[in-house]
Amino acid sequence: MKIKLKYIIPVMFVLITSSCKKNLDINHDPDNPTSLPISKILPTVERDLGLALSMGTSWTNDYGNPSGGLGMELETYVHRTTQRGTPPDQYTVSGTDFYMQAGWTDMYGLVLNNVERIIADGTAAGNMQYVGIAKIIKAYAFSQLADIFGDIPFSEANKLKGGNTAPKFDDDATIYPKLFALLDEGIANLSAAATNALKPGNDDVIYKGSIANWTKAANTIKLKLYTQERLVKNVSAEVNALITANNLIGSTAQGFMMPFGSSVSPDDRNPGEREYFASQRTIDISPWFYETMKGINQFMPGTGNLNNPDPRIPYYFFNQIKVGQVAPNDANQTEYRDGSFVSIYFGTTGPDAGRSQQNSLTTLGMYPSGGRYDDGQGRGTGLNQNSATGAAPYRFITYADRLYLEAELIKAGVIAGDARAKLLAAINESFKQVDFVVNLAKGSQTPPVLVGSAAVTTYINNVMAAYDADPTKQLQIIMTQKWISSFGNGIDAYTDYRRTRFPIIFDPNDPVMAPNHFVQPPINGDPVNPGAQKPVPVQTSLPYPLSIPWPTVELDVNSNAPAQKNPSTYKPFWLQ
Amino acid sequence: MLCSHVLILMAQNRVITGKIAAADGKAVSFATVTIKGTSTAVSADENGFFSIQAPPNAVLVVSAAGFQSTELNIGTQQSINVSLTNSGTLAEVVVTTALGIRRSDKALGYSITKVDPNALVQKSEPDLLKSLQGQVAGVDIRTSQGTPGAATRIQIRGNSSFFSDNQPLIIVDGVPFSNDQVTTSSQTSGGGAYGSGIADLDPNDIASMNVLKGSSAAALYGSRASNGVIIVTTKSGSVSRSRKGMEVNLKSSVSFETIANLPKYQNDFGTGSQGVLGGGSNGSWGKHFAAGDSQAVWADYLRAYPELFPTGKVAYQAHPDNISSQFRTGVVYENSIGFNGGDEKSSFSLTASELNHKGYVPNSNFNRSNLSLGGSTKLGIGVNVRANFSYSRSDQSGGIFGENQTSGVIASSEFARSLFLGRSWDMTLPYEDKLGNSIAFISGGFDNAFWSYKYNTSKTFEEREIAGLHFDFNLAKWAKIDYNVGTNINTLDRTEIQEVSTRGSSPGFIRLDHYRKQEIESTLLLSLTPKITNDITVRATFGTSYNQRTSNRLANEGDAFIVRGTHNITNTATQLILASAYSRRRLVGVFGDVTLGYKNWAFVTATGRNDWSSTLPIENRSYFYPSVSGSLVFTDALKIHSNIIDFGKIRGGWAKVGRDAAPYQLEDVFGILTNFVGQSRGTLPNQANNPSIKPEFTREYEAGTQLSFLKRKIEVDFTWYDKLSTNLIAPISTPLSTGYASLFSNFGSISNKGIEAELTIRPIKTANLSWEVKGIFTKNKNIVESLTVGVPRIFLGGGFNTYAPYLEAGKPYGFIRGIKALRDSSTGQFLINPADGTLIKSTAFEQIGDPNPDYKLGISTTINYKGFFLYGLFDMTKGGDIYSVTVQSLLGRGVTLDTRDRETGWVIPGVYGDPNTGKAILSGGKTIPNQTRITTNDLYFAPTGGSTFGINTASEMSVYDATVYRLRELAIGYNIPKSAFKKLPIGSATITVTGRNLWFLAPGFPKYTNFDPEVNTYGATNVQGFEFSAAPTSKRIGVNLNVTF
Repeated sequence: MKIKLKYIIPVMFVLITSSCKKNLDINHDPDNPTSLPISKILPTVERDLGLALSMGTSWTNDYGNPSGGLGMELETYVHRTTQRGTPPDQYTVSGTDFYMQAGWTDMYGLVLNNVERIIADGTAAGNMQYVGIAKIIKAYAFSQLADIFGDIPFSEANKLKGGNTAPKFDDDATIYPKLFALLDEGIANLSAAATNALKPGNDDVIYKGSIANWTKAANTIKLKLYTQERLVKNVSAEVNALITANNLIGSTAQGFMMPFGSSVSPDDRNPGEREYFASQRTIDISPWFYETMKGINQFMPGTGNLNNPDPRIPYYFFNQIKVGQVAPNDANQTEYRDGSFVSIYFGTTGPDAGRSQQNSLTTLGMYPSGGRYDDGQGRGTGLNQNSATGAAPYRFITYADRLYLEAELIKAGVIAGDARAKLLAAINESFKQVDFVVNLAKGSQTPPVLVGSAAVTTYINNVMAAYDADPTKQLQIIMTQKWISSFGNGIDAYTDYRRTRFPIIFDPNDPVMAPNHFVQPPINGDPVNPGAQKPVPVQTSLPYPLSIPWPTVELDVNSNAPAQKNPSTYKPFWLQ
Repeated sequence: MLCSHVLILMAQNRVITGKIAAADGKAVSFATVTIKGTSTAVSADENGFFSIQAPPNAVLVVSAAGFQSTELNIGTQQSINVSLTNSGTLAEVVVTTALGIRRSDKALGYSITKVDPNALVQKSEPDLLKSLQGQVAGVDIRTSQGTPGAATRIQIRGNSSFFSDNQPLIIVDGVPFSNDQVTTSSQTSGGGAYGSGIADLDPNDIASMNVLKGSSAAALYGSRASNGVIIVTTKSGSVSRSRKGMEVNLKSSVSFETIANLPKYQNDFGTGSQGVLGGGSNGSWGKHFAAGDSQAVWADYLRAYPELFPTGKVAYQAHPDNISSQFRTGVVYENSIGFNGGDEKSSFSLTASELNHKGYVPNSNFNRSNLSLGGSTKLGIGVNVRANFSYSRSDQSGGIFGENQTSGVIASSEFARSLFLGRSWDMTLPYEDKLGNSIAFISGGFDNAFWSYKYNTSKTFEEREIAGLHFDFNLAKWAKIDYNVGTNINTLDRTEIQEVSTRGSSPGFIRLDHYRKQEIESTLLLSLTPKITNDITVRATFGTSYNQRTSNRLANEGDAFIVRGTHNITNTATQLILASAYSRRRLVGVFGDVTLGYKNWAFVTATGRNDWSSTLPIENRSYFYPSVSGSLVFTDALKIHSNIIDFGKIRGGWAKVGRDAAPYQLEDVFGILTNFVGQSRGTLPNQANNPSIKPEFTREYEAGTQLSFLKRKIEVDFTWYDKLSTNLIAPISTPLSTGYASLFSNFGSISNKGIEAELTIRPIKTANLSWEVKGIFTKNKNIVESLTVGVPRIFLGGGFNTYAPYLEAGKPYGFIRGIKALRDSSTGQFLINPADGTLIKSTAFEQIGDPNPDYKLGISTTINYKGFFLYGLFDMTKGGDIYSVTVQSLLGRGVTLDTRDRETGWVIPGVYGDPNTGKAILSGGKTIPNQTRITTNDLYFAPTGGSTFGINTASEMSVYDATVYRLRELAIGYNIPKSAFKKLPIGSATITVTGRNLWFLAPGFPKYTNFDPEVNTYGATNVQGFEFSAAPTSKRIGVNLNVTF
């Protein structure tokens, strides 16, 4: 027996080691697939494009990391929102800004890296409709990044698998022509003769597989980009060609928009609606924007200076408290109050700016984020994710935007036409667009229809009268109306402002807007404390930023990246 | 292969066998037995057994270090027992080395610390690792939260990889013991005080514990040994035949714990700002209390209980006890019973223990039950068989921690305000409204602490089973085979609940985490001790091992409770899957270890191991690594027989250790995502994998000496080491414009250089009185030597935008990078903003702290007088920085005495600077001294846009030097003499009174914050040096009783 065992154990030993090879071939992840149909990638690309450009506050992205949108800070830069003590409040968005870094990450990773996969797999399999959509999205995504940041990685981007670990930054002037070419390729791919064994349908959450709408969207993106180039290039021929071909976005429903849903889990809501259940609400409505729409902002021809109130106010903003209600937290200690509207100023250093107005500040309404229509009843501490649906779309480019672009082009002399008629059409379409969003997002609320109402007609007539009255203010009125209409898309508003310097925005250093660096909130604005509210000290020491610093996370690890820019002097190429 | 080494046993005539023991009956290991007048000699084994061929009537000379040499005439006896007399010099020490090979300390070319198992039990410290603090040179042990069951981090000779687990491999009875910390929710913005696996181990069942610090010692363990190895042998896993028949050991202890460090609070000012009462403020910067003052009732209270406040006013007064009254006196009960018995052939051991630990924080508990059983027998066929099984179960419950003030992330931490409540807040008011919603003094700012303790909970139930089987038999006198196979399975089930109305998630949620890990290891060893010559000894071990690790995890979240109070995932409106993961890896190794000895004073050991890992690409799967070490007992070699120096040894070694990757890191996989507007979808990952990973290697030099002076009155053990880990396997950060955040690759290197020293002094040693003082010293410098071209630094994990840990070439591992206040470039003085008199923050990021301590020192003293003994352990950590949200908040909220002096204004020493240029403002070429006064309020809670020293500041201002001095343990005990139990069957009894953490001093912190830096938010992970409103440490006083029957 002893002898036997003596031999058994060495034999066991040999068995153990000789079965090595088979034993060790177990390194294939059983939980995650190594391939994925492009129809499962497209909805991710589209969704994440919408999220990455939005003004939503922090959510968890598709990599499982906290994320935010590129529009968040830019809405404050265009003075439609303010944020308490955060970088955009003083024009100090830096390379480490959370939203800009998150947006950059999601654009290059979730959107563009996946887009390249759709292009590669779709081309290989002859599914050219997917390829066309992917190229249009790619061109649009890069155009947004170039407009925000100027030079960006383009020609060498998303090539890690090809061995490029340090993409160079291309001159944005050289990127634009390639984007037009890419859009043309995309349009051609959409209708190319190909096997198209797999065609986009509901997985294309933007247009449900409509090749016609994607073609219109691509052409309208071209129109927008030509308009943005108009200061540095004669784009008349290109624009006229587009107008003549007449294959642009031509109705509200054809708008290039990312539809969000109302499902809480999995969450498919507009990220702006997160403000309704955030433990710390971070977005205030800019008093400058509010006073413009209220009709009391003297710097706004056609609206604010005419006491011409905008009927869209209750669709744009939601007041948590009622007119006469004491703010739930710190009674009497709001910085800016006008009836039920509570907010803080851009650039404030006032003593009341830091107070928590969690349950009293005015927040985003139904139009920008799928929030709540303001029926004047307040919500006190009852505002939460059940108060609204979140089902408002993110509007990349709408029919109204197209009309404003045409009005601007005519007014600027790039093309011939009737600028007044285009503006009127654009304003009408802007109201229609609000009704369109309300229909998607109203849930159990029943807000009145805007189009056709007397208030809307009066408002539009007043604007047009102002337009007719002073030809020197016509471009300003066009851009101001576009600025009001595009609430929610801060990126294009930022580009429009840099190009046209309209609308006029709040400047804490302007002696008229803020005499001695103080602004006066509305007299008798606080019903709880009648009389004058405390004047608020405001400041900013930086000039208006002409572009946004590149994210430090990119510069830190990219040996081909340029040195960080000075945002006050670094211009996108189309501003030269 | 080894199987070709089939050995033939040659029978011999006239073999004398015997056992060598000391006067007290304990075996003397590795004594030298020589036949007088010849050169024939053998070495006894570790248990004192020897066998030698000798002619009749030969005289044996038996010698061993620490004993007087003895001569015996064997006559015609076949077997003989030898008793040696202690010479008062250093005795031969036997230690367990890699793979359980036991050998003489003399022969070791590297440093191993043997831990006395008695040091681990019954000292009012339920955590095994914490009871090692200050006791072992070269080991850095750090705690996390001060609540029961929270993880403890142990580290030997620093971090040697970027992101992998840098804790040592723990081997229990030959099988690796997983010490994972399962993290369910991010500990940055929530998450519990998670424990780690080692908490399952019963300290009462430990028979021995050996710490293998360097690569030389650990090389045979291969891939996982680059961070050192802790070898634990349990009583049940090592049953040895008892001399007495049956022994029963009973241990019982009870100790009481309280919070160790409450700050000293001011009770002169209530909430508000700038001396003005403000009921809605967080900070106690309001009006000075005065008789008759009143304030408006806090909004949430008035809304919830209008009937309690008919006037709408409450007194504006101090509530001095509103913080201390939150905490209770905790208690730790520990009871254990052990049986050990048997006869010449068979034996068994049984240990059963029960631990109940109730923490000082309400609703924080840790309970553990262990049962361990082992048996051994010698089969008739000459094979020894040993088997053991142990089962443990533990329950941990506690609250949710993290940083409450996280922008963008919704957080609800139970310590959000617990230590810095407004001084005028009345915590005796109800903590919930009539529906059960949390109510607090600031709407939406934080949850009421009492409400959190009750409703926001993290509960973890863990079970572990260990089973092992061991065979050994002698092929010949000089050849032995050992086979060990075992499995170690742990299963963790966690339930995390945040109740309806919590700040972080008002509809509430539940997270369920199920994790199971199984590890199987089998090891076959052939040990050879052939006789070469009398002077030259050979010990050789060859073997193979097989290891398989499998883990499964399934975690789910249910959001929005439908009915409050029923915490089941079926009672939630929506559910999602957080994780569903499986992984398996295998590792096969073949190794050899050969030691050559010369005259028992010079030894050289060479080892080699080849591994085949399933996690590496086929072409790189096999990798080999060697080690060489040597030792020289120069006192024997030079025949020094001095009374001054009685033992001296020098040792040195070089080793290389390879390490494989984590599973599934070679091919890219897609992530499957949740539906979006009804569409199923997925994405490319954000980490690009790499199909050509190679193993990473650590090479280490070490040298040391052991010296004993004045008949062991002074003993010194000193080690120097230099460790370099290269070609590390880790995700390298890539520019996001590549489409990926990281590329899994081989790159970079990390070095650890340091010294470990132990000094033992025994000034008095008489029959009745002995006094021993022992000092241990640990110094390690852990530097990231290189990353890769174009990547200056890598984010390590955790932290926040303006303060986070990084890896950067030339900098300490995990240094804290953040924002500094600007200084004047010529004088180094602060630049002050003339507009508001506050500091000017830099926009650049730089190093603001290093969490690695400069050195650690432990000094213990033991005095024995007759049956009484006194033990004291003092330890200190010098340096190492911590970012403390607690200290930042104590100052910023104006609650401690540090901020009481507020009648005068303050001028921050500095010169005026321009916030836009970041340069000093010059007047006539000279800087202008700051003369702008600010209030105490502004000094600690900066005005909007400004930056000072508490809240709203450059992140460097919240980083503090974590140097701490501590009286870790004080114990007084009495060994009740046997004579006291004449009529009782009691063998011995000891009663001890112990105190833990009775005193500490952390001079780097503001005086009245009384902050103990021995807390850490990220538990047993690589991220150290951050404290986000953690639960403070506790102190305990207890009574322990130990009885043997």
